[in-house]
Amino acid sequence: MKKRIYYWVHEEYRDKPVISKVILETKVMINILMAKMKPQESFLILELSGEERQIQEALNLLKKYGEYEDIPKIIEKNKERCIDCGACVVHCPVNAISQDRDFTIVFNEEECIGCKNCVKICPLKAIEVREVY
Amino acid sequence: MKTIREINEKIKKGDAVVVTAEEMIEVVEEMGPKGAAKEVDVVTTGTFGAMCSSGVFLNFGHADPPIKMMRTYLNGVEAYSGLAAVDAYLGAAQPNSDDDIDINYGGAHVIEDLVAGKEIRLVAEGYTTDCYPRKRVSTTITLEDLNQAIMVNPRNCYQTYPAATNSREEKIYTYMGTLLPEYSNINYSGAGQLNPLQNDYNRERKTYNTIGIGTRIFLGGGVGYIIGEGTQHNPEKAFGTLMVKGDLKTMNTKFLRAGTMPNYGCTLYVGIGVPIPVLNEEIAKACAVRDEDIQVPVLDFGVPRRDRPVVAWTNYRDLRKGEINIEIYDSELKRQIEKTVKTASVSSYKKAREVAEELKKWILSGKFTLSEPVAPLGRGSCKPMKAEAKLVRDILSRPPIVARPNISIEEAARILTEKNINHLPIVDREGRLLGIVTSWDIARAVAQNINSICEIMTRRVISSTLDEPIDVVARKMSRYDISGVPVVDSGGKVVGMITAEDLSKLLGYRKF
Repeated sequence: MKKRIYYWVHEEYRDKPVISKVILETKVMINILMAKMKPQESFLILELSGEERQIQEALNLLKKYGEYEDIPKIIEKNKERCIDCGACVVHCPVNAISQDRDFTIVFNEEECIGCKNCVKICPLKAIEVREVY
Repeated sequence: MKTIREINEKIKKGDAVVVTAEEMIEVVEEMGPKGAAKEVDVVTTGTFGAMCSSGVFLNFGHADPPIKMMRTYLNGVEAYSGLAAVDAYLGAAQPNSDDDIDINYGGAHVIEDLVAGKEIRLVAEGYTTDCYPRKRVSTTITLEDLNQAIMVNPRNCYQTYPAATNSREEKIYTYMGTLLPEYSNINYSGAGQLNPLQNDYNRERKTYNTIGIGTRIFLGGGVGYIIGEGTQHNPEKAFGTLMVKGDLKTMNTKFLRAGTMPNYGCTLYVGIGVPIPVLNEEIAKACAVRDEDIQVPVLDFGVPRRDRPVVAWTNYRDLRKGEINIEIYDSELKRQIEKTVKTASVSSYKKAREVAEELKKWILSGKFTLSEPVAPLGRGSCKPMKAEAKLVRDILSRPPIVARPNISIEEAARILTEKNINHLPIVDREGRLLGIVTSWDIARAVAQNINSICEIMTRRVISSTLDEPIDVVARKMSRYDISGVPVVDSGGKVVGMITAEDLSKLLGYRKF
């Protein structure tokens, strides 16, 4: 199974290889979708894949060094404003946007990581992404 | 053979056979052009895309005391009012006069808000005369308050449009949307097989079968008319355009929408549908045009010139699949390589379909009949502007003054003062650019007691080439806040230096 989370590393562990430790100890696969290291916080978007038990172990371990949160549904198409052109599709780094057979733009909310690339390029300002980080 | 009059009779009786241009493809496939011409009376077409060359003539009625409006602002967007006292033309691409808002709310947005029935702030100023004593007016208006709001669009409905990609190493923002670096996406625009002019194009005669001045059309959700060929109309090359008019008061925001191309400008998305009377076999055949029949060049927008290089040829069917293969030159491998590139539309095919369907519904219900054009479209013209392109090679005069990295700070200082220059490109043994040292760098070296050129030179140098227009060089200088750029040839060898002084001299002498 696959699970995507937001992860904030506790201040005292910021200079520690926390993610490597979690991988080595639980053998879970971790894909770092985004990482932001700033003086005031270190924030990551992680995608864990493995068995359910493995992922639970990884989450327990991650909790020791920081805080995690499930990624909520954060992307929304304003159906009134969207003209279904398709300009946003190629700007999504995780292929969460597609055009179905009748050319309607479809967002896969599960896949969206909230990067806002699509929001920035949409000429109609028809995409809303909730502020999370 | 049928006539428009006969078709209108059928429409009024509710007997007309109307299909969309997409449906017509199948009809012609099944029955052949002859059978299709007999069966089908009208083919409806549709397009929905960004059309910057759009705008609205507005008449505000007279204030008391009256004013001769010379500068007119609607929600901060200026409308041209060098017309009679209370007439103005609001262009879709006009940015906001407030720099903080700029292209995020421009002419197109005012037009959409007017159609949506929203209140618009009107501020106008003028000079006073005996008959127009008022200097300033400030009020709130809605579409209803205006005497006229007539949309007149000088160039809409392009028959086809080149697709865009970007060879540069940086992301660029264009009227074709955002283009990622190194050919990472291709943006295209156009309704292809649904486009009005494609379906009416006579490929042998290079004219239009039925469209002419006076053709009644679907415009932005209301009824409009074709008033002539659009600007840059080029039927010879299958690049026709239309000039259209319609009453804004009959339009709706489902088919008329404002947008902003990031870091480029604001624009109006216009829905246009043209009915094509199927009078004969030839017309039926033209209406069977398919996406794969329409060739589309892919242009490199990374080249900031009028004639952008064609990177590849494709067609609308392949573009709509979401990715195509193109051959590009890889400068590292020094050979052509094949690359799969994602394609994205910046116009809406879904909306184009809705336009064609809506127009079909209007005709079937009997409320929309076809008009006889009073004259064919003009031949048009699409030639370039008579303007000189000044290139770097035209203003580069003296041979380059360069130095090797092993000279001392004192030597560098001596070269700058003796030659009366501020920029010294540092080159390798073959004369290839390594870095640049400015007089400011020398001052810093002296102040901080630095002794080596390598320590003070800038290594990531913004450079230019001989064939670059000087306008592009000027934009680089202002964008990167620098006062000079070395000019290099294709091998990276320094052949000269262009400075801000060189450019300002040109400004002073020739008013370019």
